[in-house]
Amino acid sequence: MQILAQLIVSGIAVGMIYGVIAFGYQLTFATSKTLNFGQGEALMLGSLVGLTVVAYTGYWLMLPVVLAFGLLQGAVVERLGVRQAIKTKSEAGWIMATIALGIIFKNLAENIWGRDALKFPSPLPEAPLSFMGVNVLPMEVAIVFGALALMLAVEFFNRRSIYGKAVVATANDRDAAGLMGINTSLVITFSYALSSMTAAFAGVLVAPVTLTGASMGGVLGLKAFAVAIIGGLSSGMGVIVGGLILGITETLFGYYFSTGYKDVPGLVLLLLVLSVKPSGLFGAAAIKKV
Amino acid sequence: MLKVENLVAGYGKVQVLQDVSLEVPQGSLVTLIGSNGAGKTTTLRAVSGMIQAQSGRITLNGGDITGMAMHDITKRGMAHSPEGRRVFPTLPVADNLLLGAFTRVTGSRPKGNVAADLDRMYALFPRLAERRAQLAGTLSGGEQQMLAMARALMLNPLVLLLDEPSMGLAPRLVEEVFAIIARLKAERVTMLLVEQFAAAALDVADFGYVLENGRVAASGPAAALKNDPAVRAAYLGAAH
Repeated sequence: MQILAQLIVSGIAVGMIYGVIAFGYQLTFATSKTLNFGQGEALMLGSLVGLTVVAYTGYWLMLPVVLAFGLLQGAVVERLGVRQAIKTKSEAGWIMATIALGIIFKNLAENIWGRDALKFPSPLPEAPLSFMGVNVLPMEVAIVFGALALMLAVEFFNRRSIYGKAVVATANDRDAAGLMGINTSLVITFSYALSSMTAAFAGVLVAPVTLTGASMGGVLGLKAFAVAIIGGLSSGMGVIVGGLILGITETLFGYYFSTGYKDVPGLVLLLLVLSVKPSGLFGAAAIKKV
Repeated sequence: MLKVENLVAGYGKVQVLQDVSLEVPQGSLVTLIGSNGAGKTTTLRAVSGMIQAQSGRITLNGGDITGMAMHDITKRGMAHSPEGRRVFPTLPVADNLLLGAFTRVTGSRPKGNVAADLDRMYALFPRLAERRAQLAGTLSGGEQQMLAMARALMLNPLVLLLDEPSMGLAPRLVEEVFAIIARLKAERVTMLLVEQFAAAALDVADFGYVLENGRVAASGPAAALKNDPAVRAAYLGAAH
């Protein structure tokens, strides 16, 4: 029983990371119906930039630098890889372009930081806390609250500020948003920036627990993509629940069956959702009122 | 205030507008009538920048706006209540209205008093006041039409483009919409109105243009057009 609780707690932390990256996928999908397939690399870059900066600034001052870097990196991805594809209404252009940019970023990182896994300093004590026999790393708690805080902050911005409302309006109806005087190309660039910022933040959250390195992004990006599909590309609740489902299943499966196959259950779940409810567990079927 | 000269426009390779010239003087209500497919909606879309003109010239308040991006044309003071209403379904009524004033709130147009204008819209469209917290997607068609008009008015526009405000509405609501248009006219709002109900549009307008196959086939003071035998036969039906 204790082991089960222990596994679930670890699964929750992993799941929240998946959830927050998947949330990033949703941000760009909402405004442009495109995704950054280099999202995992955005996470990796954020984490490695954080590792370099943290040596000079300490942990807390490093955070805003990483967030700013994430914003910039996302804007670059949109300008180089996505904008032209949207303009020409290309179906696949952005897919290839964002994958290509992801590979380039990974290559760049391998040359700057090397290929080895690196240790990331933890801002919190590394000794586990014990609740009724269940050990929880302070950093795991930080991951859960950090991820939630980031998603809530974005949600708050969208609901409360006029610029956030402009983002929602663009997601609703791009032409009508343009008629309001909203520069919708800029909104799409911004959503890419925000999406990469989310990933970069996830990168520094997870790095103290998992180590960091040029190859850390690929699997995380893919898993988060699965979560976005499982939860639905339009539901904020969906990515949290989807992330938790995947995180917990993986940890349980890894312990009770085989760590060698721990990536399998999540992907099987993905295939299952795709065949039974393609809009995702929480995705609403599109309702259009005429 | 708004001047369109020799406008040619369309979608991809399909040319809808062959040669359209028209003028909307300040404070006047001009209507554009014509059968389905004549190019009424396309004219409004080209004017507000939703599609690009292939040739011709469009000026707003003396400034050339041909080829400008939609959001830049809005910043110059053009409001467009588009065909199909196009309200933001997942946002509440109040936010839809606020977004109509986006350029004012964010400083690219004179701010004025946004809160007072919101109240003015709620007075003009009392149904919207009752539903201000409701998501726009849950409104009835008539209410969405009111919202689209009110949202466009929130710009405090130099020119208001109204595309088929009566489309799909019950007769009682059509009357209500025309009463509001008459009221806006009395307040000297400059308007270009596209309408399928040609008779009602000519009743309320100062001046009218008749579009046929992407060209202006006739134009004149609304009262004169209404009595023109050719216009009566083609667009007003035998009842008038």
